[in-house]
Amino acid sequence: MPAIIEAEGLTKKFGAHVALDHVNFRIESGRIVGLIGPNGAGKTTAMRAILGLSTYEGSLRVIGREPFRERARLMQDASFIADVAVLPQWLRVDQAVDLVDGVHPRFRRERALAFLSKSRIPLKNRMRELSKGMKTQVHLALTMAIDAKLLVLDEPTLGLDLLARRSFYASLVDDYMDETRTILVTTHQVEEVENLLSDVIFIDRGRIVLDSSVERLGDTFAAVAVNANQLEAARGERPFYEHRTLGKTVLYYERADLARLASFGEIQTPSVSDLFVAKLSRGAA
Amino acid sequence: MSTFVWLIRREFWENRGFWLVPSLIAALLLLGALFGRIDLAGIVPPSQTREVGGLVLFAFGVIFFLVMSLYSTWYLVDCLYADRKDRSVLFWKSLPISDTATVLSKLATALIVLPLVYFLAADITTLLIAFVISVRARAAIGGALWQADVWLQLQVMWIYLIVTVGIWYLPLAAWLMLISAWAKRAVTLWAILPPVAAYWAEHALFGTNFVGRQFMERLFGFMPHAFHPHAGPLRLQGATVGTASATDRFLGSGSVWTLLDPIGFFTSPATWAGLAIGALLIVATIGIRSRNSEI
Repeated sequence: MPAIIEAEGLTKKFGAHVALDHVNFRIESGRIVGLIGPNGAGKTTAMRAILGLSTYEGSLRVIGREPFRERARLMQDASFIADVAVLPQWLRVDQAVDLVDGVHPRFRRERALAFLSKSRIPLKNRMRELSKGMKTQVHLALTMAIDAKLLVLDEPTLGLDLLARRSFYASLVDDYMDETRTILVTTHQVEEVENLLSDVIFIDRGRIVLDSSVERLGDTFAAVAVNANQLEAARGERPFYEHRTLGKTVLYYERADLARLASFGEIQTPSVSDLFVAKLSRGAA
Repeated sequence: MSTFVWLIRREFWENRGFWLVPSLIAALLLLGALFGRIDLAGIVPPSQTREVGGLVLFAFGVIFFLVMSLYSTWYLVDCLYADRKDRSVLFWKSLPISDTATVLSKLATALIVLPLVYFLAADITTLLIAFVISVRARAAIGGALWQADVWLQLQVMWIYLIVTVGIWYLPLAAWLMLISAWAKRAVTLWAILPPVAAYWAEHALFGTNFVGRQFMERLFGFMPHAFHPHAGPLRLQGATVGTASATDRFLGSGSVWTLLDPIGFFTSPATWAGLAIGALLIVATIGIRSRNSEI
């Protein structure tokens, strides 16, 4: 598969602070990748480098281009919503559609208008007159109407209620996603996206701590709920994290001998959000 | 439509003052023409109504041009700062629009589009006012406002001013844009402070005044560079603006051609030095803009 994003030794420093520390990863076409990490882990820094919004050290190719040098051309094939990006307050909804239609060769006007009429947004209103959720809907309508090879979403559903969030992710998978597209998404609400991700990249303190397809997570990771009487024996198999629940302790293992773990209890594949907590809880285990 | 045209359109959407301010001036002047005292017959001897008429037309142009200069200055200070402050800059950067196109569209808006809008507004307003006054005052002064040659000269003057002002003030415009792209707050202060600090530092350290003179030259040196010295109503020193003899020279005996000095302007090293500095500052502004995100 061709790589949509290829990073080698990607590094970004802000003064003495190293936000990204020689990061390597490769994202292939047709995947939905979750870039997941705690606050300050380097997610936004990585996103900004990928989108050509900041300089960086190391090598980075996005859809075959150098993002910073070729941002304008990259944006013909990539689109994004950053969590902090807002539409200009003075812009009317219909003007926004006209404008993106005017400057973007891959914009599908009808698709944006269909999305907007579905969410009942008045076209003649200025952004400042819309509620926070409506503004997000307009931004999503504009972005989703672009036939992009790469869609980058940084906390895309901020400000949306639960219903709107669910319907956004549903339409992302049902209407938007196909094998020609690639989606890179970050969000704090890992539970909301974990079922649609095909790949996860965990990032912490500027380094990648996990880069795997979701299918392969089961080959690598195992979680076992252990009774108190077997706890010491189970700990002998070197879990990297443990978590107490009612009466039992759930132990997390990486590349452990599954046959031996089976004797302590039922082996499960941890969910992405459990794994996130397990991998990134500092000082635990 | 090309991306650049969309970017100019966008500026009109964002800044409704582009139309509102000239419309407001036009409305005020029209009100004056409709209800003001226009009986000049008692003040101006009949032999001079033609000159006074020409001067009135000229004065309207001056009003529009001065307001336009102030408005453009404000616009330049704000243009690259506004969308960082309201955090829409990332939306703009998600579109396939290069930072070069963005910066140049704003520069062109300030130095070409806005002057043309005011030129148009000034022409329409003067036509309307000439008509109103003709009807109200009939023969007394009305005829004095319909002078084809004066009209033509005013058009030439506007075009000449737009071109030369745009070139002469490019370094200042580019400086304002650079600050607008760079400053995190207090844009106006940052625009003024470094030149003042440079002037003061030079004065304190070397006792010389090179920087200060360069700035003064750039701010006030336009008239002597673009117009023949001592040649009429636009001379700054000596306050000859609008005296009868100056009007004579501009509208009476001579023509606008005796006033304009395009050869002097385009052969002056100051013109080209300004262009070069302006171009450098624009390149720097584009560099800063491409690294910009929200504040």
